[in-house]
Amino acid sequence: MQLRYVFSELGQGLRRNLSMHIAVILTLFVSLTLVGMGVLLNQQAQRAADQWGNQLQITVYLCRQGDNVPSCASEVTDAQKQAISKVIDGNPNVDSFYLESKADAFAKVKELYGSERFTGPDAVITEADMAESFWITLKDPHQAEVVKEAVVGLDGVARVQDLRNVVGPILSFIDYMKYGAGLVAIFLGIAALLLVANTIRLAAFARRREIAIMRLVGASTLYIALPFLLEAVVTAVVGVALATAALAAFMQFGIVGKLADSLDFILWIDWSQFGWAVLVVAILGPVLTLLPTLLLTRKYLKV
Amino acid sequence: MIRFEKVTKTYPGSGKPALEQMSVDVEKGEFVFLVGQSGSGKSTALRLILRETRPTQGRVYVAGKEINRLAGWKVPRLRRQIGTVFQDFRLLQNKTVSENVAFAMQVTGHNRGEIAKRVPETLELVGLDGKGDRMPDELSGGEQQRVAIARAFVNKPMILIADEPTGNLDPATSVGIMKLLDRINRTGTTVVMATHDAGVVDQMRKRVIELGGGRVLRDQVQGGYGAQL
Repeated sequence: MQLRYVFSELGQGLRRNLSMHIAVILTLFVSLTLVGMGVLLNQQAQRAADQWGNQLQITVYLCRQGDNVPSCASEVTDAQKQAISKVIDGNPNVDSFYLESKADAFAKVKELYGSERFTGPDAVITEADMAESFWITLKDPHQAEVVKEAVVGLDGVARVQDLRNVVGPILSFIDYMKYGAGLVAIFLGIAALLLVANTIRLAAFARRREIAIMRLVGASTLYIALPFLLEAVVTAVVGVALATAALAAFMQFGIVGKLADSLDFILWIDWSQFGWAVLVVAILGPVLTLLPTLLLTRKYLKV
Repeated sequence: MIRFEKVTKTYPGSGKPALEQMSVDVEKGEFVFLVGQSGSGKSTALRLILRETRPTQGRVYVAGKEINRLAGWKVPRLRRQIGTVFQDFRLLQNKTVSENVAFAMQVTGHNRGEIAKRVPETLELVGLDGKGDRMPDELSGGEQQRVAIARAFVNKPMILIADEPTGNLDPATSVGIMKLLDRINRTGTTVVMATHDAGVVDQMRKRVIELGGGRVLRDQVQGGYGAQL
């Protein structure tokens, strides 16, 4: 196959339709960036949920030595734990629950704040300072109060935390952002598809004489469509590269360099999550340009 | 080489068939004129040979292949065995004469060496020796048609289809073009030419197939344009 011709056509096609290609690239860039943001926010929500338990959870912190609460006479005993566990188990609103040990709690803290502060003789907190806790998942979050009332005041229970109050607003903010980004990305994605379709129509019209002769002398469909497909690949690559750069800037200047420092009680996403977002964008970009190209070249360039 | 077996073609949305029960057999190396008024079905017959359209009924065989059974991806291969020339030349105005002829070879995957050899050969054959670097609009109508014929012939097709090739040319120039087509025919290429040009048909004394209302009215060896000849 004479690739020289294909590449010279590609260059000509890109120059001839420059304004349309720029429009496609910019639309693609913004929509892919938003998709990438959506992926990152989704993972951020996941991380926050993993960190704090999901919204349906209630945490029952058990007594430590020296807790100044009436129901805490001393460190919680095994008998007390069993009694509490029985109450939770017997409650019809509880879906499931588990006991988090001091070691598990300590590991979580270390992951969140970095382990260097918690090792060695100067450790701020040790494993012994952590409280054991029951993590309860509810069948229905609206029944949280009922479950709380059943547990509060039992011997060995220091305090009960309904995580919905703390995490709920943050999680729902992230959710709104995520869905907002997704929705705008869908609209822009449709715009990108239509722009690509229009670009191909224009290009096919501009090259109609060449195409007619190519068909007549027996050029293969692939050969005729190849410049169009390559144009689609080029615009996709540029769009993906721009979106990746924008997402990287967001990670570097927004998350890693800023929020992760100033709001360090939240487990923020890092570069491995960024990798996933780029992967999604890198797949979606070519799909958005190649799909309409394949469909329309079949329509306009049919031999 | 080309066989129509009881071919009927009705275009969608049209009640009357463009071709009706057409049966014709063209042997390898023949020269055939397709004559008839506008709307008689000549163009439809040519489009069927090129597999630009398919028969509604009946069968069309081209170079041993039944075109209705031919898979879409095999159509380009069929068309490489057919050269096509039109009344309006259809040259690419932004390419030189040589580039126009080379284009047909480039897009069908010939290498540069072959192109460099065959393009000048073919230009010489059609009488455009030394005009390879001209642009189409610098040439006369007859010369432009020669370029189109060179482009159609450069891939050495088994069949040459000519749709009113002299329609835009004066009689003297037409004679030159017909001599060229005759020469191509003598190389063993089957030529099918649709025309309204009575002078050309009468002079050549080749096989004449006359169509009217989509039917074959006459199929005459060494015929003339009019039935009385």
